[in-house]
Amino acid sequence: MTYANISIEDLPTDQADRVVKIIKISGQLDESNVDEQSKTIYQLIEANPKNLYLIFNFAELEYLNSKAIGYLTDWYGKISAEGGKIAIAMAKDNITDILSVVGLTQLITCYLTLDEAKLGIMQ
Amino acid sequence: MPNNPQTAPVKITITLPTNAYFLSGIRDFTITMTKNVTGFSDQWAFRFQSVVDELCNNAIEHGSVSGQEIKITFLSVPQKELEIMVEDSGTGPNKYTATQMREVFEKQKKIVQNQFLGLRGRGLAKIVAEWTDELIFEDREGGGLRVRAIKYLHPEDSVLAVNTQNQPQTASIILQPVHA
Repeated sequence: MTYANISIEDLPTDQADRVVKIIKISGQLDESNVDEQSKTIYQLIEANPKNLYLIFNFAELEYLNSKAIGYLTDWYGKISAEGGKIAIAMAKDNITDILSVVGLTQLITCYLTLDEAKLGIMQ
Repeated sequence: MPNNPQTAPVKITITLPTNAYFLSGIRDFTITMTKNVTGFSDQWAFRFQSVVDELCNNAIEHGSVSGQEIKITFLSVPQKELEIMVEDSGTGPNKYTATQMREVFEKQKKIVQNQFLGLRGRGLAKIVAEWTDELIFEDREGGGLRVRAIKYLHPEDSVLAVNTQNQPQTASIILQPVHA
Protein backbone atom coordinates (compact mmCIF):
# COMPACT_ATOMS: atom_id res chain seq x y z
CA MET A 1 0.00 0.00 0.00
CA THR A 2 1.28 3.47 -0.89
CA TYR A 3 2.30 5.61 2.10
CA ALA A 4 -0.16 8.25 3.28
CA ASN A 5 -0.79 9.72 6.70
CA ILE A 6 -3.50 11.96 8.10
CA SER A 7 -3.04 13.90 11.32
CA ILE A 8 -5.64 16.19 12.87
CA GLU A 9 -4.91 19.24 14.99
CA ASP A 10 -7.45 21.42 16.83
CA LEU A 11 -7.24 25.11 16.12
CA PRO A 12 -8.42 27.18 19.09
CA THR A 13 -11.05 29.79 18.22
CA ASP A 14 -12.95 32.41 20.19
CA GLN A 15 -16.10 31.58 18.23
CA ALA A 16 -17.75 28.93 20.36
CA ASP A 17 -20.12 27.70 17.68
CA ARG A 18 -17.28 26.67 15.38
CA VAL A 19 -15.09 23.59 15.35
CA VAL A 20 -11.86 24.38 13.52
CA LYS A 21 -9.29 21.74 12.65
CA ILE A 22 -6.15 21.46 10.57
CA ILE A 23 -5.93 18.23 8.61
CA LYS A 24 -2.39 17.45 7.54
CA ILE A 25 -2.14 14.87 4.78
CA SER A 26 1.28 13.60 3.78
CA GLY A 27 2.39 11.04 1.22
CA GLN A 28 0.30 9.96 -1.75
CA LEU A 29 -3.44 9.35 -1.95
CA ASP A 30 -4.06 6.74 -4.63
CA GLU A 31 -6.25 3.75 -5.42
CA SER A 32 -4.38 1.55 -2.94
CA ASN A 33 -5.10 3.66 0.16
CA VAL A 34 -7.64 6.43 -0.44
CA ASP A 35 -10.75 4.49 0.62
CA GLU A 36 -9.14 3.58 3.94
CA GLN A 37 -7.68 7.04 4.58
CA SER A 38 -10.92 8.85 3.76
CA LYS A 39 -12.70 7.10 6.64
CA THR A 40 -10.81 9.33 9.09
CA ILE A 41 -12.36 12.45 7.58
CA TYR A 42 -15.85 10.97 7.35
CA GLN A 43 -15.62 10.05 11.05
CA LEU A 44 -14.59 13.62 11.82
CA ILE A 45 -17.57 15.00 9.88
CA GLU A 46 -19.93 12.60 11.61
CA ALA A 47 -18.60 13.62 15.02
CA ASN A 48 -18.93 17.35 14.17
CA PRO A 49 -21.96 17.65 11.92
CA LYS A 50 -22.47 21.43 12.28
CA ASN A 51 -20.18 24.41 11.64
CA LEU A 52 -17.07 22.36 10.95
CA TYR A 53 -14.15 24.35 9.55
CA LEU A 54 -11.36 22.30 7.99
CA ILE A 55 -8.02 23.53 6.69
CA PHE A 56 -6.25 20.88 4.64
CA ASN A 57 -2.50 21.29 4.96
CA PHE A 58 -1.18 19.77 1.74
CA ALA A 59 2.46 20.82 2.20
CA GLU A 60 3.59 17.19 2.31
CA LEU A 61 1.02 15.74 -0.07
CA GLU A 62 2.85 14.42 -3.14
CA TYR A 63 -0.02 13.02 -5.20
CA LEU A 64 -3.77 12.58 -5.23
CA ASN A 65 -5.86 10.72 -7.78
CA SER A 66 -9.34 11.39 -9.12
CA LYS A 67 -10.99 9.32 -6.40
CA ALA A 68 -9.29 11.40 -3.70
CA ILE A 69 -10.55 14.52 -5.49
CA GLY A 70 -14.03 12.97 -5.45
CA TYR A 71 -13.82 12.51 -1.68
CA LEU A 72 -12.59 16.08 -1.23
CA THR A 73 -15.59 17.31 -3.23
CA ASP A 74 -17.94 15.16 -1.16
CA TRP A 75 -16.51 16.55 2.11
CA TYR A 76 -16.94 20.06 0.72
CA GLY A 77 -20.60 19.33 -0.06
CA LYS A 78 -21.35 17.80 3.34
CA ILE A 79 -19.53 20.45 5.39
CA SER A 80 -20.75 23.53 3.49
CA ALA A 81 -24.34 22.24 3.65
CA GLU A 82 -24.10 22.36 7.44
CA GLY A 83 -22.62 25.83 7.80
CA GLY A 84 -18.95 24.86 7.69
CA LYS A 85 -16.07 25.67 5.39
CA ILE A 86 -13.09 23.97 3.76
CA ALA A 87 -9.79 25.51 2.69
CA ILE A 88 -6.55 24.14 1.29
CA ALA A 89 -3.11 25.41 2.31
CA MET A 90 0.43 25.04 0.99
CA ALA A 91 -0.36 22.63 -1.84
CA LYS A 92 2.51 21.82 -4.21
CA ASP A 93 2.23 23.01 -7.82
CA ASN A 94 1.27 19.59 -9.17
CA ILE A 95 -1.52 19.29 -6.60
CA THR A 96 -2.90 22.75 -7.38
CA ASP A 97 -2.64 21.92 -11.08
CA ILE A 98 -4.82 18.81 -10.82
CA LEU A 99 -7.32 20.49 -8.48
CA SER A 100 -7.56 23.30 -10.99
CA VAL A 101 -8.09 21.07 -14.02
CA VAL A 102 -11.07 19.35 -12.39
CA GLY A 103 -12.53 22.70 -11.32
CA LEU A 104 -12.19 22.18 -7.58
CA THR A 105 -10.27 25.43 -7.06
CA GLN A 106 -13.51 27.20 -8.00
CA LEU A 107 -15.18 25.63 -4.96
CA ILE A 108 -12.37 25.45 -2.43
CA THR A 109 -9.88 28.28 -1.99
CA CYS A 110 -6.20 27.33 -2.07
CA TYR A 111 -3.93 29.47 0.12
CA LEU A 112 -0.18 29.71 -0.13
CA THR A 113 0.38 29.65 3.63
CA LEU A 114 -1.32 28.18 6.66
CA ASP A 115 -1.73 31.62 8.21
CA GLU A 116 -3.53 32.91 5.12
CA ALA A 117 -5.79 29.87 5.20
CA LYS A 118 -6.61 30.44 8.87
CA LEU A 119 -7.49 34.06 8.21
CA GLY A 120 -9.43 33.23 5.05
CA ILE A 121 -11.53 30.43 6.48
CA MET A 122 -12.50 32.36 9.61
CA GLN A 123 -13.84 35.37 7.71
CA MET B 1 19.53 17.44 -22.57
CA PRO B 2 18.53 20.90 -23.84
CA ASN B 3 21.93 21.20 -25.56
CA ASN B 4 21.74 17.78 -27.19
CA PRO B 5 18.12 16.73 -27.47
CA GLN B 6 17.48 13.08 -28.18
CA THR B 7 15.36 12.64 -31.30
CA ALA B 8 15.18 8.87 -31.91
CA PRO B 9 11.81 7.36 -30.88
CA VAL B 10 11.79 5.48 -27.60
CA LYS B 11 9.34 2.66 -26.82
CA ILE B 12 9.02 1.23 -23.33
CA THR B 13 6.52 -1.47 -22.38
CA ILE B 14 5.72 -2.51 -18.82
CA THR B 15 3.45 -5.37 -17.78
CA LEU B 16 1.86 -5.17 -14.36
CA PRO B 17 -0.31 -7.46 -12.22
CA THR B 18 -3.81 -6.07 -11.70
CA ASN B 19 -3.06 -4.62 -8.30
CA ALA B 20 -3.11 -0.93 -7.40
CA TYR B 21 -0.11 -1.55 -5.13
CA PHE B 22 2.24 -1.31 -8.12
CA LEU B 23 0.94 2.00 -9.48
CA SER B 24 3.12 4.27 -7.33
CA GLY B 25 6.16 2.75 -9.04
CA ILE B 26 4.65 3.39 -12.47
CA ARG B 27 3.92 6.99 -11.50
CA ASP B 28 7.55 7.50 -10.42
CA PHE B 29 8.74 5.93 -13.65
CA THR B 30 6.46 8.18 -15.71
CA ILE B 31 7.91 11.32 -14.13
CA THR B 32 11.51 10.19 -14.64
CA MET B 33 10.90 9.04 -18.20
CA THR B 34 9.08 12.23 -19.18
CA LYS B 35 11.81 14.45 -17.74
CA ASN B 36 14.66 12.52 -19.35
CA VAL B 37 13.33 11.39 -22.70
CA THR B 38 10.41 13.35 -24.07
CA GLY B 39 11.28 17.05 -24.07
CA PHE B 40 8.12 17.92 -22.10
CA SER B 41 8.41 20.27 -19.11
CA ASP B 42 8.38 19.14 -15.47
CA GLN B 43 4.76 20.30 -15.19
CA TRP B 44 3.84 17.83 -17.88
CA ALA B 45 5.82 15.07 -16.17
CA PHE B 46 3.45 15.41 -13.20
CA ARG B 47 0.44 15.63 -15.50
CA PHE B 48 1.42 12.46 -17.33
CA GLN B 49 1.78 10.59 -14.03
CA SER B 50 -1.89 11.38 -13.40
CA VAL B 51 -2.88 10.34 -16.93
CA VAL B 52 -1.06 7.00 -16.57
CA ASP B 53 -2.46 6.41 -13.08
CA GLU B 54 -6.05 7.09 -14.15
CA LEU B 55 -5.78 4.91 -17.28
CA CYS B 56 -4.28 2.06 -15.26
CA ASN B 57 -6.93 2.35 -12.53
CA ASN B 58 -9.66 2.14 -15.17
CA ALA B 59 -8.02 -0.89 -16.76
CA ILE B 60 -7.72 -2.63 -13.39
CA GLU B 61 -11.20 -1.68 -12.20
CA HIS B 62 -13.12 -2.44 -15.38
CA GLY B 63 -11.01 -4.48 -17.77
CA SER B 64 -9.06 -7.11 -15.90
CA VAL B 65 -9.92 -9.42 -13.01
CA SER B 66 -7.53 -9.99 -10.13
CA GLY B 67 -4.58 -12.16 -11.09
CA GLN B 68 -4.52 -10.87 -14.67
CA GLU B 69 -2.21 -8.28 -16.16
CA ILE B 70 -2.36 -4.86 -17.76
CA LYS B 71 0.21 -3.57 -20.23
CA ILE B 72 1.46 0.01 -20.32
CA THR B 73 3.41 1.28 -23.33
CA PHE B 74 5.16 4.63 -23.60
CA LEU B 75 6.02 5.69 -27.14
CA SER B 76 8.00 8.90 -27.16
CA VAL B 77 9.08 10.79 -30.22
CA PRO B 78 11.35 13.25 -28.39
CA GLN B 79 10.64 16.92 -28.95
CA LYS B 80 7.46 15.94 -30.81
CA GLU B 81 4.92 13.74 -28.99
CA LEU B 82 4.28 11.18 -26.27
CA GLU B 83 1.80 8.34 -26.59
CA ILE B 84 0.68 6.41 -23.52
CA MET B 85 -1.09 3.15 -24.27
CA VAL B 86 -2.80 0.99 -21.63
CA GLU B 87 -4.22 -2.43 -22.48
CA ASP B 88 -6.40 -4.67 -20.32
CA SER B 89 -7.23 -8.34 -20.69
CA GLY B 90 -10.99 -7.91 -21.14
CA THR B 91 -11.71 -10.28 -18.26
CA GLY B 92 -13.16 -7.71 -15.85
CA PRO B 93 -16.80 -7.89 -14.73
CA ASN B 94 -17.46 -4.31 -15.91
CA LYS B 95 -15.56 -4.51 -19.19
CA TYR B 96 -16.49 -2.30 -22.13
CA THR B 97 -16.00 -2.58 -25.86
CA ALA B 98 -14.26 0.35 -27.55
CA THR B 99 -17.61 1.68 -28.81
CA GLN B 100 -19.21 1.43 -25.36
CA MET B 101 -16.18 3.07 -23.78
CA ARG B 102 -16.32 5.99 -26.21
CA GLU B 103 -20.05 6.44 -25.41
CA VAL B 104 -19.41 6.34 -21.65
CA PHE B 105 -16.54 8.79 -22.05
CA GLU B 106 -18.52 11.29 -24.14
CA LYS B 107 -21.48 11.13 -21.75
CA GLN B 108 -19.29 11.63 -18.69
CA LYS B 109 -17.43 14.49 -20.35
CA LYS B 110 -20.71 16.40 -20.63
CA ILE B 111 -21.56 15.69 -16.98
CA VAL B 112 -18.25 16.97 -15.62
CA GLN B 113 -18.22 20.08 -17.83
CA ASN B 114 -20.16 22.09 -15.26
CA GLN B 115 -19.57 22.27 -11.53
CA PHE B 116 -19.56 18.56 -10.77
CA LEU B 117 -19.97 17.37 -7.18
CA GLY B 118 -20.06 13.62 -7.81
CA LEU B 119 -17.69 11.19 -6.17
CA ARG B 120 -16.47 9.43 -9.32
CA GLY B 121 -16.03 10.13 -13.02
CA ARG B 122 -13.28 12.75 -13.27
CA GLY B 123 -10.37 10.45 -14.12
CA LEU B 124 -10.93 9.79 -17.80
CA ALA B 125 -13.48 12.50 -18.60
CA LYS B 126 -11.58 15.38 -17.04
CA ILE B 127 -7.95 14.62 -16.14
CA VAL B 128 -7.06 12.40 -19.11
CA ALA B 129 -9.27 14.35 -21.53
CA GLU B 130 -7.83 17.75 -20.56
CA TRP B 131 -4.22 16.63 -20.60
CA THR B 132 -4.13 14.76 -23.90
CA ASP B 133 -4.71 15.86 -27.50
CA GLU B 134 -6.10 12.55 -28.76
CA LEU B 135 -7.82 9.74 -26.89
CA ILE B 136 -8.42 6.57 -28.88
CA PHE B 137 -10.31 3.47 -27.73
CA GLU B 138 -9.61 0.22 -29.60
CA ASP B 139 -10.76 -3.37 -29.21
CA ARG B 140 -7.83 -5.75 -28.88
CA GLU B 141 -7.65 -8.91 -30.93
CA GLY B 142 -8.40 -11.73 -28.52
CA GLY B 143 -10.36 -9.50 -26.14
CA GLY B 144 -9.74 -6.48 -24.01
CA LEU B 145 -9.49 -2.77 -24.54
CA ARG B 146 -6.61 -0.60 -25.65
CA VAL B 147 -6.68 3.09 -24.70
CA ARG B 148 -4.21 5.38 -26.46
CA ALA B 149 -3.61 8.85 -25.08
CA ILE B 150 -1.48 11.07 -27.31
CA LYS B 151 -0.03 14.45 -26.38
CA TYR B 152 1.83 16.59 -28.89
CA LEU B 153 4.65 18.78 -27.67
CA HIS B 154 3.62 22.38 -28.20
CA PRO B 155 6.38 24.99 -27.81
CA GLU B 156 4.96 26.32 -24.53
CA ASP B 157 4.94 22.81 -23.01
CA SER B 158 8.58 22.13 -23.78
CA VAL B 159 11.34 21.90 -21.21
CA LEU B 160 13.31 24.16 -23.54
CA ALA B 161 10.66 26.88 -23.21
CA VAL B 162 10.71 26.60 -19.42
CA ASN B 163 14.51 26.66 -19.30
CA THR B 164 14.60 29.69 -21.57
CA GLN B 165 12.14 31.50 -19.29
CA ASN B 166 13.94 30.65 -16.08
CA GLN B 167 17.57 30.98 -17.05
CA PRO B 168 19.63 34.00 -18.00
CA GLN B 169 19.75 34.63 -21.72
CA THR B 170 23.54 34.94 -21.67
CA ALA B 171 26.21 33.34 -19.58
CA SER B 172 29.97 33.45 -19.44
CA ILE B 173 32.27 30.67 -18.38
CA ILE B 174 35.93 31.52 -17.95
CA LEU B 175 38.39 28.66 -17.91
CA GLN B 176 41.76 29.41 -16.43
CA PRO B 177 44.78 27.15 -16.25
CA VAL B 178 45.65 25.97 -12.77
CA HIS B 179 49.22 26.70 -11.78
CA ALA B 180 50.81 24.42 -9.26
